[in-house]
Amino acid sequence: MLDDTAGDVVVVVVEGEHDIYTAPTLRERLDEALDRGGGIVVDLTAATFVDSSVLGALLDARRRALEGKQGFVVCVGETVEPGVQRILDITGLVPVLPVLRRRDEAIAAARTNGANT
Amino acid sequence: MSGRPEVVLTMPARPEGVGVVRQALAGMADALDFEASVLADMKMAVTEACTNVVVHAYDSDSGMLEVEMRAGDEGLTIVVRDHGSGIQPRPARSEPPALGLGLPLIAALSDAFELRGSAGRGTEVRMTFAYTRDADPADANPVTGSVGIDGRWDPDAPSHGAPAGG
Repeated sequence: MLDDTAGDVVVVVVEGEHDIYTAPTLRERLDEALDRGGGIVVDLTAATFVDSSVLGALLDARRRALEGKQGFVVCVGETVEPGVQRILDITGLVPVLPVLRRRDEAIAAARTNGANT
Repeated sequence: MSGRPEVVLTMPARPEGVGVVRQALAGMADALDFEASVLADMKMAVTEACTNVVVHAYDSDSGMLEVEMRAGDEGLTIVVRDHGSGIQPRPARSEPPALGLGLPLIAALSDAFELRGSAGRGTEVRMTFAYTRDADPADANPVTGSVGIDGRWDPDAPSHGAPAGG
């Protein structure tokens, strides 16, 4: 997992397979990113598998972001792995998190959606 | 017996073991020529079943996780078993609490699914994935609800459900 900054938005990059084993590390990264006070983008473009432990971490981070009036957006890239797309589709979380395709769209949205809530 | 592949895994019920089960499953599914989309569903359902064992089955780190994968006539049957406290209300061992989405996901992703267990005698989740699918199982058993105010899954919350398999 890598962090990348785009001005006032921190991008947390998630690569490969993630489940209950790595979810605690993801939670730490998300907490660190939220502590910086700006918007958050979680980039799952290079993720190949995420389970409900990861969704739990994302939803908790989203809740913290909403409380802090910080933007929070997930992006998945143009070609989404079935191991990522499927769980987002069947849980109906695409509009909730929310989930966008491109990272630049997500950064732009994270810059504004915290201020609008 | 036929030459159908069969895998039996026994390992400590710890978080690092769940990925090992997925690797074994991927190898088995490759040998059986499953489609990538079905393999993705299998990985997800088996991960959720194993995670339930890791999080809920045992008080300590000493319990075991058992996984059996057997190729049958119609599909691949995967059994995930523990010898823990069985199905009963019980706080999750890890913090923060689990989302509570595991069983709904297993039901939505498998072509057939059975849960067996009793207090003190452990729990067994049995899932079958058909070699060829006529329909998306998530259409028959959709995940209902959405995330609640407390951060856990609320099956009665208004769903934002996108159409399954879309």
